[in-house]
Amino acid sequence: CRSKESIRCYSVFPKHYTKPIFRKEEQDELVTNEKFQAATYLSFKPACIDETSSEFYDPLVSKFINYLIKQGKKSSARYLLERAFLSIKMIQLQAYNSCDSNDKEKIELDPKVILRNAVENAKPVMELTQIKRAGQVYKVPIPIDSRRSRLLAIRWLIQAAKEKTRTDFLYDRLAHELIQAHNNQGRTIKKKQELYKQCQANKSYAHFRW
Amino acid sequence: MNLFNRFILRIKKSTNLRNTSSFAETMELSDEILPSIYTRETDPVYHNESHLNKLYNIPSKDCATILSHGLMNQYKIQLKIFNEMSILIRKPSIELLSYLSKSDYAKPVNKYVIYGECGSGKSTLLYHLLHYGYNTNKIIVYVNHAQYWFTKPKEIKYSEIERNIIDLPIDTRIWLDKFKLLNNHILCQANIKLSKSYKWGTGANFPKDSSLIDLINFGIDQTRYASEIVAALVNELKQASRIGLCNVLVLIDNYNIFFSHYTQIKNSLKKFALTSEFSLTQNFLEITKSDWCNGQIIVTVDTAVNKDRQESHLPRYLLTKEGFEHLDPFLPINVENYSEDEFYTMIDYYKHKKLIRSLTSNGEKELKLLSGYNPYKLMDLCKHL
Amino acid sequence: MVVLVFSQLIAFKHVKPGGCTYNLLMRINNNLNNGCLYSTEVSKKIDANDLDANENTKMSKAMKAYLERAKAYDDFIKTEENNYNLGKLHLSNMMGVKSTNFTQIDVDKAIRYLFPSGLYDKKARPIMKHPKDIFPVKKAAQFDSTGRPYHSMFYTTKPHYYKALYDVVECMHLLDATEDKLIKNDNHILVPIDLSNSQWVNQENLEGLLVEKISTEQEYFISSIEKLCQHPLANDVKDFIMIYRKLKQSVMQNSTIPELMYDSNNRPYILVTDCMRKNARGEVLVIGQGSGKITVNGLPMVNYFKNLQEREQIIFPLHFTDMMDRVDVEARITGGGPSGQSGAIRWGIAWALRSFVDLNMIQKMKVAGLITRDWRIRERKKPGQEGARRKFTWKKR
Repeated sequence: CRSKESIRCYSVFPKHYTKPIFRKEEQDELVTNEKFQAATYLSFKPACIDETSSEFYDPLVSKFINYLIKQGKKSSARYLLERAFLSIKMIQLQAYNSCDSNDKEKIELDPKVILRNAVENAKPVMELTQIKRAGQVYKVPIPIDSRRSRLLAIRWLIQAAKEKTRTDFLYDRLAHELIQAHNNQGRTIKKKQELYKQCQANKSYAHFRW
Repeated sequence: MNLFNRFILRIKKSTNLRNTSSFAETMELSDEILPSIYTRETDPVYHNESHLNKLYNIPSKDCATILSHGLMNQYKIQLKIFNEMSILIRKPSIELLSYLSKSDYAKPVNKYVIYGECGSGKSTLLYHLLHYGYNTNKIIVYVNHAQYWFTKPKEIKYSEIERNIIDLPIDTRIWLDKFKLLNNHILCQANIKLSKSYKWGTGANFPKDSSLIDLINFGIDQTRYASEIVAALVNELKQASRIGLCNVLVLIDNYNIFFSHYTQIKNSLKKFALTSEFSLTQNFLEITKSDWCNGQIIVTVDTAVNKDRQESHLPRYLLTKEGFEHLDPFLPINVENYSEDEFYTMIDYYKHKKLIRSLTSNGEKELKLLSGYNPYKLMDLCKHL
Repeated sequence: MVVLVFSQLIAFKHVKPGGCTYNLLMRINNNLNNGCLYSTEVSKKIDANDLDANENTKMSKAMKAYLERAKAYDDFIKTEENNYNLGKLHLSNMMGVKSTNFTQIDVDKAIRYLFPSGLYDKKARPIMKHPKDIFPVKKAAQFDSTGRPYHSMFYTTKPHYYKALYDVVECMHLLDATEDKLIKNDNHILVPIDLSNSQWVNQENLEGLLVEKISTEQEYFISSIEKLCQHPLANDVKDFIMIYRKLKQSVMQNSTIPELMYDSNNRPYILVTDCMRKNARGEVLVIGQGSGKITVNGLPMVNYFKNLQEREQIIFPLHFTDMMDRVDVEARITGGGPSGQSGAIRWGIAWALRSFVDLNMIQKMKVAGLITRDWRIRERKKPGQEGARRKFTWKKR
């Protein structure tokens, strides 16, 4: 039984079950928008295993961990990122403690903020796709969806960390890469700039998109 | 305008040790107003109940000597980020310090066994006592990573002198080196002489009344005699204490490793050796006997090192019948997880040191539940928040 | 179904939003009554004697056959109904319940007991229901013996559907008229219509309501009636609109929330016995007046679950309902791995907390996805494939 119907019916929750809203802030928003009552009549899927309403939860951190997973070992991936956060703190606190009080405000000590900024800075706005016209394959710059750009940013960050010299641990290399990306420097940002240059070079083919 | 006395941060690596014990020199903050979580009393000799639930810093000038044996990973990180080595003063440490100060040194040695859940602060307590011993000019025999001797030793040698005994020459030499670093100033002062002559071969000849320091130096130079020298050292220290030349404080972390049946090293019969077949074990069992005075023996037991005994953290279970009989009589001291006040002190400390940012009350409740008030788990949590 | 609606309308007869609406509703009543169902009143008009008597009048064979069929169907339904009622009497006797108290639910239970079936498909198992639930509803005779149709819109081939559309327009005109009056008087409190607890009937249900086959017309009908809903005075014709709406299930309708039980120390507690996720099975005991102690299989939660993720999951419902330091939890769980066990405990805690917390918070928990059971299990491996989804390596030759 390989039909699409039978594959769909393996999904335990029927189509009308919606994604739950488990963050307290988002629920309060619903209440203020007066959509909460309507929401109570819907059916909701159960919250995922890594979703909580605690203040230490960050959806971007969760996503990043998922991209780090290898062979289904989520605990290892999570440990890696948390250890990278510690490395970030170590680097930033050392810089913080050894600089003047004027520069202290510029140094960011929250590793989650650094991660967020790093991903934001690494997000490309457009990328190249291959479009075939008259037998020839052209690389055409196209704008990308925000989800795809986030994927690319995170993937590049992780790849850049893995490409570095193997003598350091991955969490240290990742920490350095994140801090550099936060400061708009480093391999990932360079990769993004190179992609933009290529897009600029192939600007003339942009009309192939349609 | 605040004026601070600041020293530039330097990472110092001890070069003549295989294990790189790297630590940073601490910053002096003598003129700054200390927050209420700290106490200015940095001498453990004077710590009493009024200092409970407060943190104190080990002065930077003493840090290098006191921590020469190396720190646990947690504290290495703390030292690096916080630029200071600060210890929370808790009830078991005050209790032990009062016993140590009041004990009658003419009588045979008192033995204390510190026990508690994994991560509840036993090794930290030993650091506190280390500082105390240093300040009261005791010779400190400190062992803190014995478990690595039986799993990842640097070199194994089957002893020529005694059958069925395994030597670990390089590890022994490293330990001797650290012992010397820790106790150098006292050894020079006390000027202990050997009570009998030792000879292990040509060139390894120490007649009676030669200096103990020479013996130790010889052991550090000539690795192959290191194990015998440690045995001799133990004997000499006991003898010297009996006479009254010095006061010895024995601090052994994870003592129950010496009674474990699990090692990763094969003996000459090609079977996995028991820990009792090592010369180092024998030395440290020797020093924890009750046949000397003018000293104190403080020992911790932990479930983490004993892979075949994991069900309980109580001393009788972890020490096994052998160890219990060897160490009996001893006073057990329980180190518990944090109380509410201690928990809030540590949270304030981490906030002061900028390890974590501000928490809501819900966040604090969460941390309590997630860590279960366990010191190690709390630090683990806060490291990545 | 329409009979039910009819009775509903009768009930609303006494609720008077405004005189005009009442008249309109009565008119709708009557229209629905005429020739919509297999009502026995209609067949009375077409008696066998009548047929014979009217032999003189010219009636085509087709018409005669049609009328005979309609009558036969009516008779058939009547006999089935009699059989059903008789059977119900016998069943109630067998089960030892008074026949007046014997509802359809009791009938279903009795059939399940007397005819246990191992068939997978529920629709294939033995059923005993009223013939109106089993046999498809058919329209009764649409015209009398002379061939004159009863319904004015008979020749549109979908009289009820078009009548419904006309009703919508009539309601619109009615509301516009009331609005004009109110603008003059200026003393009516506008109550906006609240349709959040219901949704439009789907195609199947609409076909059942109108007893006519509808394919593309449903969208048009829904969009027309939505225009009616957008009228500021739509609340006055809510009864009409609700005919075509299905009530949605809310939190309270699904299951009853158990009462708190009290133990020997007078502390309230709830025991949830059927906690499961993946292969983990267990039970959770949530005790009120506590201080936040969580024990799993006798060990503190911190020692049982090594990973942080599992501990966070268990704390999630407590954090969400602000009960972290007000409640103790004792969980006994076996089977599965850490994720499964922690997921099961999380559901158990949330399910138990429903009794400790007010309705608003229960609704919030539902929206947060804490109360839904996680039925996901490991997908089975299929023959001819390497795993559940992974196929064997495709080799060209």
